[in-house]
Amino acid sequence: MTAVVRRRALNLRRHGWSIGVWLLLAILIGWYVLLIPRFGSFQIASIIKNSLPLVYLAIGQAVIVITGGIDLGAGAMLVLTNSTSATLMQDQPFLVTILIGFGIILGAAALNGFVGWIINVSRVPDIVVTLATSFIYSGLALMILPGPGGGTSAGFRILFTGSDDGTGTSFGFSLGMLLVPVVIAAFFMRRSRTGLSLYATGSDLNAAYLSGVDIRRAKVIGYAFGGAMAGLAGLATVAITGSGDPRFSIGANATLNSVAAIVLGGVALTGGIGSVVGAVAAAIIVFFLSPILSAMGIDPNTAQVVQGSLIVVVMMIAGLLALRRRRAK
Amino acid sequence: MTVADLPGVRRQAASMRLLADHPLWVLGGVLVVLIAITGAIRPSYLSFSGLRNTVLLAAPLGIMAAAQTLLMLTGGIDLSVAMVATGAAYVAGNRSPSGALIAIASGLLVGLIAGATNGIGVGIFQVNPLIMTLAMAAILLGLFTSWAQTIFTGSTTVAPLIKTLGGGSFFGNRVPYNALIWVGVALVVMWLLKRTGLGRITYAIGDNPIAARLSGVRVWQVHLVLYTLAGLLAALAGILIAGRTGAVDLQLASTFLLPSVAAAVIGGTSIFGGVGSYSGTILGALILSVLNSMLTFLNVGQAIQQVVYGLIVLLLAWLYAKVTTER
Repeated sequence: MTAVVRRRALNLRRHGWSIGVWLLLAILIGWYVLLIPRFGSFQIASIIKNSLPLVYLAIGQAVIVITGGIDLGAGAMLVLTNSTSATLMQDQPFLVTILIGFGIILGAAALNGFVGWIINVSRVPDIVVTLATSFIYSGLALMILPGPGGGTSAGFRILFTGSDDGTGTSFGFSLGMLLVPVVIAAFFMRRSRTGLSLYATGSDLNAAYLSGVDIRRAKVIGYAFGGAMAGLAGLATVAITGSGDPRFSIGANATLNSVAAIVLGGVALTGGIGSVVGAVAAAIIVFFLSPILSAMGIDPNTAQVVQGSLIVVVMMIAGLLALRRRRAK
Repeated sequence: MTVADLPGVRRQAASMRLLADHPLWVLGGVLVVLIAITGAIRPSYLSFSGLRNTVLLAAPLGIMAAAQTLLMLTGGIDLSVAMVATGAAYVAGNRSPSGALIAIASGLLVGLIAGATNGIGVGIFQVNPLIMTLAMAAILLGLFTSWAQTIFTGSTTVAPLIKTLGGGSFFGNRVPYNALIWVGVALVVMWLLKRTGLGRITYAIGDNPIAARLSGVRVWQVHLVLYTLAGLLAALAGILIAGRTGAVDLQLASTFLLPSVAAAVIGGTSIFGGVGSYSGTILGALILSVLNSMLTFLNVGQAIQQVVYGLIVLLLAWLYAKVTTER
């Protein structure tokens, strides 16, 4: 009996943060429904599809951070794949755009896996290497697409947004594109040998190495997975906006949001702790703040200030809770 | 292997060890080689006016990298330096009509407030420095973008004194004033790190924060002081950059963020804390500035410049890691 109670308490402590994040998301959705005059399928479709890029980016960032790294080039990778796909996909039929899409995801995975390999070989800290790659990626994006432009096929836009001009009311496709990668990533991290080796590597490098985990392989796989997810985010962006945009600031902002989302979602920046699912809920929250703030009639600049402040305040509360728990021990 | 080979092998190992013990020599060598290459591309570079331009660029970068070095030594980082610098420069530009000194003081005030806020977040509330400073950058960008249309609609050019400090030179137009300020900052930072208790505690926290806390260091106070100092240094750098360009806008210092981190990393400061020095960072800032001049002379366009810049930062960090782990 007491064992059950104790296990329940342990579960609550282990998943408490995750539950809190989902609760916060539910409250925000409820608030949004009350806030706007009409809440229908158009609003649902718009929220789901527009949150896709950040959700993908957060999944990728979560996998990399759980493996013990951090990718400050994730946003730049989104910009690079967005620019590349918009350039290649312009005026192509649906089937070709799908093939290009797969090619880009594979290319992004290979490129970011190579970055993981460089981190292994050079022993330069992740944060420095990926800060440098963020510049390399956005430089490449500018080379491929010097200014906003390009395009994609109507079918490709339907695949991510449910309509050929990106403004429909059906959200089946978007929901599918949201759930499938989340389920795959969550299953990969929790149920596969490789996923567990990523957790082991991020949790304690030496212990993982001594128990026979190939830590170099884990790092390369983690970064490759993160790259593929950032590539998917770039594809979602081209489907949503119908064009490519190589601006540096877009990537920098996306990186900030992805890091904020995973930390808010309970992934520890020290590695080995947290889950993909928690990061996804937090990513939707971070994205969701801007429609809420705009529904409240706050201009985008002030909304950015409020969003940044909210992230800080939430992290401050988390810091205080952690401090109290440590004192209580 | 024959016996005759051995002394040669040993000599090579000894020279590697010498380099590993004095990594700053490697950096000095890289700097000289880069200057020579740049001189080969554009012979007029190897003159007082050519090198003066590099120093003009290196001084604000070096000051911003000083902020980064101080925080990296504690195991932290400040990704808001570029935005703090821009904000300080913007305020200084707007206050310029009421006199240069008031303008500089209000610019520094921006750095003081932003830095202290970072310090409170990181020191007292234990927010991860990466999150705290990234969010600070986003907040400042939002604030200044909306303020630019409301309360800071005034002047976008800076006062003559700031222009002189940031872009002027003396001694027959050879030595820039901002280099003088950089030397002052460098002396203070090196004195702080090498000769004061705060400096020793800074290294101690970066080396092992728990040990530092258990031996009675009030870690949060050190964080508060250092982040505030970093904000002030970033603001100073921003004002100097504004003085060099003569006018302010909200993109002013955004290109300085990667170089400020890279200068410290190339200079041998560990991003995990506890290891490094400001003298290495100075060389790092000079190397990056020479590199910048070189890429400008090659006239390759912004896209290729960004790629090459990122690649070289990566290679230099790699080289440094290789040399220092050789021992």
